Amino acid sequence: MKNILEVRGLSLSFPSKRSSAVKVLDDVSFNIRDGEIIGLIGNSGSGKSMTALSVADLLPETASVEGGQILFDGEDITKMKPKDRRLLLGDKIGMIFQDPMTALDPLQTIGRNLDEVLQIRNIPVRERKDRIIEMLKTVGFIDPEGVYKRYPHQISGGQRQRVLIAGAALLHPRLLIADEPTSSLDSVTTMSILKLLKSLREKLNMTILFISHDLYVVRNFCDRVMVMKDGKIVATDNTEEMLTGTNNAFIAEMLAKSRLDPSELLLDMPSVDYSGSPILNVKDLVAGYSSGILSRKARTKTLKEISFDVYPNEIIGVIGSSGCGKTTLAKTICGLMKPTDGEIRMKEGMGLGVVFQDPGSCLNPSHNVRWHLREPLIASGSKLSPEEQDKVIRRVLEDVGLEQKHLGRYPSQLSGGQRQRVAIAMCLVLEPSLIIADEPFSSLDAVLAASILKLIAKINRERKTAIILISHNMRIVRAMCKRVIVMSKGRIVEEGLTGEVMKNPGSDVTRELIEAEKMLGGARQSSTGA
Amino acid sequence: MTASKTYRSPSRAYYVTGAVLLGIVILAFILSLTGIAPSPNATSAAEKLQGPSAAHLMGTDNMGRDVFARCLAASKYTLLISVTGVLIAFTAGVITGLLAGYFGGFCDRIIMLFSNSIMCFPGILLALVAVAVFGPSLFNVVIALGVVFAPTFARVARTGTIGLLSQEYIMHAKVLKVRPSRIMAVHIFPNLMPQLLPATVIGLANMTLFESGMSYLGLGVQPPDASYGKMLADAQSYMMHYPWMIIFPSLMLVCYILGLYFLSEGIRISLGGESR
Repeated sequence: MKNILEVRGLSLSFPSKRSSAVKVLDDVSFNIRDGEIIGLIGNSGSGKSMTALSVADLLPETASVEGGQILFDGEDITKMKPKDRRLLLGDKIGMIFQDPMTALDPLQTIGRNLDEVLQIRNIPVRERKDRIIEMLKTVGFIDPEGVYKRYPHQISGGQRQRVLIAGAALLHPRLLIADEPTSSLDSVTTMSILKLLKSLREKLNMTILFISHDLYVVRNFCDRVMVMKDGKIVATDNTEEMLTGTNNAFIAEMLAKSRLDPSELLLDMPSVDYSGSPILNVKDLVAGYSSGILSRKARTKTLKEISFDVYPNEIIGVIGSSGCGKTTLAKTICGLMKPTDGEIRMKEGMGLGVVFQDPGSCLNPSHNVRWHLREPLIASGSKLSPEEQDKVIRRVLEDVGLEQKHLGRYPSQLSGGQRQRVAIAMCLVLEPSLIIADEPFSSLDAVLAASILKLIAKINRERKTAIILISHNMRIVRAMCKRVIVMSKGRIVEEGLTGEVMKNPGSDVTRELIEAEKMLGGARQSSTGA
Repeated sequence: MTASKTYRSPSRAYYVTGAVLLGIVILAFILSLTGIAPSPNATSAAEKLQGPSAAHLMGTDNMGRDVFARCLAASKYTLLISVTGVLIAFTAGVITGLLAGYFGGFCDRIIMLFSNSIMCFPGILLALVAVAVFGPSLFNVVIALGVVFAPTFARVARTGTIGLLSQEYIMHAKVLKVRPSRIMAVHIFPNLMPQLLPATVIGLANMTLFESGMSYLGLGVQPPDASYGKMLADAQSYMMHYPWMIIFPSLMLVCYILGLYFLSEGIRISLGGESR
């Protein structure tokens, strides 16, 4: 097969005045064959994005190319005039990025956003609109005319990524570079985007360079895989052989790291007494965001008639794809949002803790860990003496697996996993009987996520704390939760014991979630799962 | 990914330049307290309009007062007025801004209505009206300047607060039932400093310019006390033939304002802002 792109001996560095230059790419050579989907995987900082940016000529100004050739269709594009090379991007090479939220101009309609690409190429107005509508249809919009007129904030993250793919594909490029296009999407949306990319390859005869750190995504999607480490390509092979063979120590390690297989954590489910009285009783809950300043009534209902109970000592899973109202439910139970209707009844004297998703903003950057752990005690009007407070803090710190030395550190001096542990410790200080955990692991890598899951299970076992675990990941819910609630569009569509829901899914949403889980890995474990 | 942080540290040059320029003014302030120079308000008809000499380092003005001594004395008033004025503006502005941002809704509307009303008048006009009504005393000038500058701080604090409200640690604090006053003071306020600090330094510079403007018009520091604005006003009719009368106070003013701007630029860069 013909090579569409050949990279030979590409080296790249960031010159620095003080120290020696930081080398980001070191003698990188690879070929991309016409029509294939090739994966490029590696940890963050391994140079995979820089490789893509070199090909697309989008390198930051401070980078300097130290040598090497990039042959596109046999022509060395590093020797091209800047203007010609710029036109190559778009005409021949398309690119999509990780964050669909920031890639569209919020003040322009989707149509205007896409139109720009064609406008600078002097295509007549009438034809431009037709082509955009046609492409929006191709990427799976049922109502392309409607989407054309909408603004970016009016469509979901997955839809935005579709719009961006449409934009990249508008000029029918031969090579599409996708830089972690699914990293910020949930599993169901990820699956649909991957399906879309695959179908686009057939329809438009494209070659795709797919960059990812997620081996599971790559496994079911790419024909071949290249692995990068420290600015070097360490292995290239067919996907199947690469990911099953263990002849490469680094890949074996990466495989181990990215496989979040909760069944290996050996988490035993807590025994729950469902005959007793629930500690939390939610009945006909309706909540939403109001847009008027003086009107109390919610315009958009994010939650509709939600009813469920939580029993002492249980871990209950709440699952659904993004935008289904999971987080709003958590916020409403915590009292951060006022319900417009229905009631939330908690057991007398019950404490409530909450852990949110983002380790980046879960701690206050102006204060150290000790302050964070003391703050709940102060807020609750604790009468403990400073020595006793210190004792509580130390015990909790130990429980979440942190050490004394961390007490004086500030959030910027902690890793993502450590920050999430401090956030959990903040809940534990007041010994709540219910903790709401809103995807506390979703932005951590598999090893850290697994350790957080273990920690949550341990807290549940040792402290008899009930936990509402919110997730979009079926595998995690399956391993952790005895009972599960499936949400979609603000409603509970299914509720029951996890095993039974998995065996006989009673709704399309559940089926989609299970299918996504299978496609994005875990297929082998599903037969042995709960 | 980019190595620009280790690549160069542009804030250092700004800090050094700013510190040197401000140092000149602060030195003047210290000297004015030691009484090293002759009395700034002592007139001497025999010595008027003399050029710089060993006896009078910066010459004398039209009433025979020593320009050097007056420059030192003026630095005292300039520092006093700008620092207290900014303190008043900062306190009033940050408190109202926090309240507006935190509670939102009606509270926000009322507070922003007030602060926007103040902002839509030219500041100097408002200050002039206040001084015209309450009389031109140093105290009134400081209060008037504080009120005129408060909305700037209110806006910065309000915007910052609204941004922080969506941060998980603030939501967490609310779940923990931390009192709103404590959330504002302990959880939010320290995180506003990156925005407030440059605003404060710029505020000092702008306030000094305002004060000079008012004194120039005769509504700020009252004669015979010296102020840079007043000295410039006095020098106006003499500056063609006796340039030292206008050069030295102007230079001092430039040192102070430029020093503050450099400092604020340095702060902004080292806090991660863009250098623009």
